[in-house]
Amino acid sequence: MQRNRPPSPQTVNVLRALAADPARWRYGYDLGAEVNLKSGSLYPILVRLADRGLLETAWEPSAGSRPPRHLYRLTGDGRDFVAALTAARSDRSVTHPRRRLSEA
Amino acid sequence: MPVFFVFLVAPIAVAVALFRRNPRRFLDGPTEDAPLRLLRWAIGLLSPQRAEWGQAMLGELAYLDGRWRRVRFAIGCAGAALVMPPWGRAAVGLWALTGITAASVAVYAVLTVQYRLGVGGWFGVGGWIALAVVLLICVGCLLGASALLRRPGIALPGLVGGLFATLVGLVLSGFTAVDQVTYISTGWHRGVLVLAVPAAIGAAGTLWRRDPAAGRRVARLAALSAGLLQLLYATVAVAVLGGGGPPDADGGFTVRGTVSDRLGNNVVHLAVTTLLIALVGWAAAALTGYLVRRKSAPAADPVGEV
Repeated sequence: MQRNRPPSPQTVNVLRALAADPARWRYGYDLGAEVNLKSGSLYPILVRLADRGLLETAWEPSAGSRPPRHLYRLTGDGRDFVAALTAARSDRSVTHPRRRLSEA
Repeated sequence: MPVFFVFLVAPIAVAVALFRRNPRRFLDGPTEDAPLRLLRWAIGLLSPQRAEWGQAMLGELAYLDGRWRRVRFAIGCAGAALVMPPWGRAAVGLWALTGITAASVAVYAVLTVQYRLGVGGWFGVGGWIALAVVLLICVGCLLGASALLRRPGIALPGLVGGLFATLVGLVLSGFTAVDQVTYISTGWHRGVLVLAVPAAIGAAGTLWRRDPAAGRRVARLAALSAGLLQLLYATVAVAVLGGGGPPDADGGFTVRGTVSDRLGNNVVHLAVTTLLIALVGWAAAALTGYLVRRKSAPAADPVGEV
């Protein structure tokens, strides 16, 4: 059964980082460093996003003796999801301005 | 006495086997650094659906420089690989064995505190040293099991084999706590426990996978899982009985002495069970493989020149 829980703050951060430049492929470690997430938290988030069809993955050809590297970027659904998420947040902040103040 | 001979010879036999498998690695040590080995170990526990993510973690690690950066990354990925659903059979088996081990050690620790075993014995800390030794042995069993669980097709038959050996042992000894602390196998019971059951596990493992090497691994995993399961059952039995039940022949005359002796017997039983099932199962797997090969050899050579 698919659960429709709202995404965690860490997931939202990852989505926003990916949505900042949606056409660009990203490396896992760089993405984790950007949103300040350890690999143990980042990979389960990436796996869940890919399972939900929000994340597109690809393999970068290996360089020399090194193994190929995994790349990530948002799918079309992923971009729509981030847009919807941002819209929902801005709606909520208009409805509950006090909360916005407390978050600031 | 023969048991202690086995204890003495077993580490030497393991060292010889490791040397024969790869002399260079045995002498020079591992060629990969610790983070890479940790990550390889962890991603071996991933389910087939998540195998690609394991390769993604390995690929990312290959581009990281700096020891601590690599260590932190590998530890994080290993943690994620251990808990990321859906779990593969290897991860389920490892978590089950970890739970069994943790329960055994926890009950042992409670008994150590409750019966003040920690303040007796050598230099007043004998009980705690014994607990540390038990922990060390259990962790060793777990590490050995984790290496076998990662092999494809070994987890299920190995764990089923361990459960089978445990159940046969319990049926023969009896299920009650008193049965656990008083049972000494004799006559045909000993033949079943020492020979028939381990041999059946080794042979079944070989026939299941059609590979004697897999049969030997199945026997080793069954040995480790049966040892840990039986340790838990016997430790709980000691907790239920405490100093009660029939008096021990050599357990001293105090409650503390009786409990300590029973716990010690359990640990020796763990080591003996593990070694015997692994040894006899290994031999049975090898023999079954040889017989199967011999039987199928003429079919592979229809001309009959060999």
